[in-house]
Amino acid sequence: MDFTLSDDHVALRDAAQSFLDKEVDLKPLLQPGATVADAGYDRLWRKIAELGWPSLVVPEAQGGLGMSHIDLAMIVGEMGRTLAPAPFFGTLAGTWAIVKAGSDDQKDRLLGPVVAGTCRLALAMAGQDGRIGEAVAATAIAGGHRLTGKAWYVVDAAAADRIVVAADLDGATGYFVVDPQAAEVAVELLNWRDITRQVGTVTLAGAPGELLTEGNAATWPWLRDRLYLVLAAESAAGAHAALDDAVAYAKERIAFGRQLGAFQAIKHQLAEIAGQAECATAAVHYAAWALTEADPRGPLAAAMAQSYASEAYRDATYRNVQVFGAIGFTWEMKNHLYYKRARCNAALLGAPAQQREEVIRFLEREAAAA
Amino acid sequence: MDFTLPGEDDPRRIEIRAWFEANPKPSYRQIAERGLAAPNWPAPWGLSAGPELVLIVDQELERAGIAHPHLKNPIGTNQCGQSLLKWGTEAQRQRFLPPALACEEVWCMLFSEPSGGSDLGALRTTARREGDDYVINGQKIWTSLAHRAQVGVIVLRTDSTVPKHRGLSVLLVDMASPGITVRPIIDMTGEENEYNEVFLDDVRVPAGNLLGAEGDGWRIVMEQLQTERQGMTMPGAVWGNGPTARELVDGLIRTGRIKDPVLRDEAAKLYIEGELLRLLTYRNMSNKINGKPAGFEGNLGKMIASPHGQRLSDLAKRSQGPAGMIDDPDVLPLPDREFGLFDNWDYAYWFAPAATLGVGTQEILKNTVAERILGLPRDTDPTAATPFNEINRQQPKVA
Repeated sequence: MDFTLSDDHVALRDAAQSFLDKEVDLKPLLQPGATVADAGYDRLWRKIAELGWPSLVVPEAQGGLGMSHIDLAMIVGEMGRTLAPAPFFGTLAGTWAIVKAGSDDQKDRLLGPVVAGTCRLALAMAGQDGRIGEAVAATAIAGGHRLTGKAWYVVDAAAADRIVVAADLDGATGYFVVDPQAAEVAVELLNWRDITRQVGTVTLAGAPGELLTEGNAATWPWLRDRLYLVLAAESAAGAHAALDDAVAYAKERIAFGRQLGAFQAIKHQLAEIAGQAECATAAVHYAAWALTEADPRGPLAAAMAQSYASEAYRDATYRNVQVFGAIGFTWEMKNHLYYKRARCNAALLGAPAQQREEVIRFLEREAAAA
Repeated sequence: MDFTLPGEDDPRRIEIRAWFEANPKPSYRQIAERGLAAPNWPAPWGLSAGPELVLIVDQELERAGIAHPHLKNPIGTNQCGQSLLKWGTEAQRQRFLPPALACEEVWCMLFSEPSGGSDLGALRTTARREGDDYVINGQKIWTSLAHRAQVGVIVLRTDSTVPKHRGLSVLLVDMASPGITVRPIIDMTGEENEYNEVFLDDVRVPAGNLLGAEGDGWRIVMEQLQTERQGMTMPGAVWGNGPTARELVDGLIRTGRIKDPVLRDEAAKLYIEGELLRLLTYRNMSNKINGKPAGFEGNLGKMIASPHGQRLSDLAKRSQGPAGMIDDPDVLPLPDREFGLFDNWDYAYWFAPAATLGVGTQEILKNTVAERILGLPRDTDPTAATPFNEINRQQPKVA
């Protein structure tokens, strides 16, 4: 029993922090109309690939680092804290899909280039309504499968060298690897409000797809838990960043002859946010540990973390803008980047209330089994 | 990082369980002498226990069906007893700690006064030195357990000529002393007597019962409050005690009320918050090791835990509909376990307003979090630098 981070985890976080503080520059995004492409999306990816981050969750058998989810949460947290615009989420998600649903041969073949930093991935799983595995249909043909349909909200789709697509195959969800360069595949960018991320649709018109042969009904819950952890880690760290930013401003800004932060109306609101940010961090650490250990409560921990951290981040970024006052409402300040990331993180994988429903169902099953 | 709680086969657990098996009905004196009344204190009082061993001791006491010494003598076995480790003389420790840990002498803490609770530094009860004694005059209020206590820990003013926080001292008082009158307060729950007013008229206390030096009072009581707050951060119905969100959700599932879509989402929210509070408390327990005074983390924990507990009992009661407004402790099924004073949702519900008043109002806690954890500017107190006996002369008249 040790509820604190080890020295190794702190060292890993600190290393990621100093790297990202140096490399991430959000200023280009503070011009209206700018996109991640203007903020070093590709350059940052190359730096990240040099550090070996794409292989963080690739098993050692495939030449990856096979790091724990706690290690991962340290790095992802820093990506979230700095809003690092790089196609990292997509590669993580696609890697996990191949790890979980691929055969040994497929893992060797598909993950090798990921480890080498030459293949970026994306995971296309949702329809326009957010439902999983229903928007694309797969048909078996001689020697393979053809995919037809349109997947939405695909993070890093336009940067991906391969896209893993969740598709309906005879009433079950199968996972298929698609080459976005194929003539039957079209990737279009969405006007996603979080401009620190690139999000698109993937339209498939009979596109060839390689079925990951070990996929089954357990694949999506397993993936979902990990994607929850990634977003929750970003959100918890983002909430701390929004809090720190607001606290610093409240110390510096003078009104009525006093520091803004001397007023209880400000102090008390920031104290509330501090409480939520601490709880969100605790939730992320617990979920990271539970998934690392394959604890039976892992899915519960992941859903708790995603729902709590999402709302904490939304509250923290709202308060951040309020503390700054009207200047915080302008495009030229970075406050809105965090504000938008918070809202998009709370929607991308379903609303916090949906994860709470998953929590209650888990507890109902636990009570029924007791 | 390892969230595994100590298992059934933990050697420390086996050792303590064996002791309870060899001593099936131990007296509280025996429990104290085994080091189990305050296991986080150093020897000879405790076991210098870290968070794991503290948890094991709690669980093994519960398993043996013994109410925790913290429930029998909360102030003596926790924040006030603990401050003798740092501030007491050896003679004071030998006199006061054995009967405190054995729950043979119950302690109370005489802090708040009718003229102020949050502004504790402005307290008016005085002690003047007369020979080998201090002579106390004044009035305290909201004193838990005063009607049952043998030992009182009182903070009072020994010097009115210095600014208010500097003239305070702490004395250990025999509650049977002549001149002490204890009068119960009937609080809004209308239930058993929890709180008291305490009148002190020319109460004589030996000067040897001064804790620390004259003028140390503010630092001592602040440490005691931080330690007390840290004990109030677990996710229980009231101040870390009583049933938690786990019992709430379990009760809602067993009664089928969890199917109500409105209650359902609220229950999930509370369950999650409760689990996270538990994690935060475990994380902070390391700061409480070996009887060290707590830092300010307890303020953040209590700031979350008090309203959390209020929402727990609120949801439990709302799940009953109008039937919940009838005076009846049977709200939701609870496991057969020792929950202490707040052992049913009905009492916790009607007691709830006090949770954000006692041991620091919610506003004071938020100030402390903002100032001590976030580093925001301190609130201004126009009276802070003025000698105490000159404050009233300077205060503006209320229109």
